[in-house]
Amino acid sequence: MTCYETVFIARPDLTETQVKDLTKKFTDILTKNGGKVLKTEYWGLRTLAYKINKSSKGHYALIESEADGKAIAELDRLLRLDEDVMRYMSVRLKAPSKEPSVILSNTGVKKPYIKREAA
Amino acid sequence: MSMSKPNFTRRQKSCPFSSEESCDIDWKDVDTLNGYISERGKIMPSRITVVSQKKQRVLALAIKRARQMALMPYVAQENTNRTRRG
Repeated sequence: MTCYETVFIARPDLTETQVKDLTKKFTDILTKNGGKVLKTEYWGLRTLAYKINKSSKGHYALIESEADGKAIAELDRLLRLDEDVMRYMSVRLKAPSKEPSVILSNTGVKKPYIKREAA
Repeated sequence: MSMSKPNFTRRQKSCPFSSEESCDIDWKDVDTLNGYISERGKIMPSRITVVSQKKQRVLALAIKRARQMALMPYVAQENTNRTRRG
């Protein structure tokens, strides 16, 4: 089973619980189609680098899963149809990630490229 | 101290991503990626950043993915006299 990560941006006028429900809906679709969800993350309401659909903020969420291509294709199809999702991207991973995303551990301080602390 | 000819060929020693303890190139790691774009947001060539060819292709792909997911801009505004509030 191959590992995929899907990140989507939800509309900013949703609340955090609504975004979490949306994430749960997509993880249910994955498990229904024979996939296994490894982790989900919520990155919060972030400012976008450019305006999407005339809004400059959006809720980011990440789903990391182990599934086959058909399940991910179904997930992508539903992400495209959903009105609350502004943008999405599914990327294939070589290996499951070991630690939470860098964005969650970011304290907002800009730093130059840094060597990995933990192996 | 003897005056020697200035050595222009010596810039950075090696690719920042190719040593054993260097971090992986992740498209979500905006802080690292911001070190490889210009002020306008354009990807810098590897002859300036001394990234190896293989890693430069991976880096460019990561930057393009980050741009698509609005973590990095396609065209960055030049630093004008904008005051940021709070």
